[in-house]
Amino acid sequence: MNLNLPVVRLLVLKDWQLFQKQLALYVLAGFVALCFIGLGKPWAFYVGSLMLIIVLVASACFSISTSLLVERKDKTLAFAMSLPVSPLDFTAAKLAGNVLTFAVPFLVILAGTLGVVLATPLPDGLVVYSLLVFAWIGFAFAVSLAVAMSVESEGWATFAMIGSMVLINPYLMALGQVPAIQTRIAQDAIVWTPEAVGLLAVLGGLGVVVLAATAWHHARKPAFY
Amino acid sequence: MTLAFSLSGISKRYPQFALQDISLSLPEGQVMGLVGVNGAGKTTLLRLLTGLAAPDAGEVRVLGHRLPEGQVAAKREIGFASEDMRLYRTQSLRWHMDLVCRAFPGWDDDYAATLMQRFDLRADQPLEGFSHGQRVKALLLLCLARRPRLLLLDEPTTGLDPVARIEVLEALADVLRDERRSVLFSSHNTHDVEQLADTITFVHQGRLVASDDRHAFVDRWRRLICQGAPPEGLSGWPEIASVRTSGSLVELKVRQWRDDLPERLAASGLQVQREDAMALEDIFITAVRSGAVA
Repeated sequence: MNLNLPVVRLLVLKDWQLFQKQLALYVLAGFVALCFIGLGKPWAFYVGSLMLIIVLVASACFSISTSLLVERKDKTLAFAMSLPVSPLDFTAAKLAGNVLTFAVPFLVILAGTLGVVLATPLPDGLVVYSLLVFAWIGFAFAVSLAVAMSVESEGWATFAMIGSMVLINPYLMALGQVPAIQTRIAQDAIVWTPEAVGLLAVLGGLGVVVLAATAWHHARKPAFY
Repeated sequence: MTLAFSLSGISKRYPQFALQDISLSLPEGQVMGLVGVNGAGKTTLLRLLTGLAAPDAGEVRVLGHRLPEGQVAAKREIGFASEDMRLYRTQSLRWHMDLVCRAFPGWDDDYAATLMQRFDLRADQPLEGFSHGQRVKALLLLCLARRPRLLLLDEPTTGLDPVARIEVLEALADVLRDERRSVLFSSHNTHDVEQLADTITFVHQGRLVASDDRHAFVDRWRRLICQGAPPEGLSGWPEIASVRTSGSLVELKVRQWRDDLPERLAASGLQVQREDAMALEDIFITAVRSGAVA
């Protein structure tokens, strides 16, 4: 079965056009959070970090829930499926569209975060720590997207989204228990310890595997229903 | 004779519902009305014809393409709209037209403009400001302006007010003037089907109850009012679909009218007092209740 690339592009563009205003608002909220972080005061750093995580989680959930769950609920999915697309084209478009609508604000905010850490008196050791936090959000997004694409139930999809995102709390606590990561945060140097690099590789790799398995599973379906 | 579609020995099973042993075809240029109550299997049939669903058994061919394998090529020549299909609320009709235009090579801008005027639709208004009737017309516009060879419509007039319903039916009647365009539309409203269809198919509980030319249906079915006592085993006669007794009057509904029937009834003690043609709705209800399979 061949991929119908022009139609896949069309569907990705459709999702991008539908969500671009809201995504711009998430980026704006991310920059407000970064302004707090950049103030360099402990209270502002706390408020800014909390706000940044909330914005990242919300933008990841927004992309999945609007593009997949709301499309089912609003019955616009039937319209999209009536276009000349196969299940493979549709899966590819949904994966690419979601990754794009998630990745654009994610990468812009990530770049902003690294810029703020490096350009302000904040310790440069935060660069690695920030990447570890962003990596978890990316991984949680991949799991949530895979579940939302694979199950019909809105309840299970929402559970996967909330569950994987909320697990960032114990994840941060666990990071605090790893001396090779925890002790480098306050240092004014970027130190790539094997533990940090390993964790980044595992989260990144798992995210890619989860999405690839979802794509493979859907690509074998001959029809939508 | 070129077929717009053919279904041969189709079965499709869901946990709560099964479509069983459906064989049906539509010659190109014809209009078929699919009549059935909610849950009869109309939507499943249409999903099979668009390649959205794959049959568990049997073969589906649409415009020469075997489905669901050839669904992309087939969908390029199909206009499909269903009652439960919605457009994106926050976007305008123009946005939808741009999207559909890029997906379908046969898109006709002039025809889209004509339909927009005819349906009195505003292209730049977000869909959330449209009434239900306007949304249905917008969906039809998006289907018709792509100039499909086969138009599949699932309950196109459901929920429309009388004025919008007539407008939609008139627009469909215009479309049907094109002799190469084939149409299959489902409805539980037999009046709509009677107005437009050349062929009528009844489905009930996942089975084909009857499928025939519209005039043949009306010619074959009769309602007889008789006087006398119904003979033993009358309801078992193959041409009798229903028998109802009220005092000395007996109402018979006949699924296969023959001129010699009054004589045979008289020989059995029933005198035919009146013979009426039956409305399609009455034919449908009687066919479903009598469990006749085409």
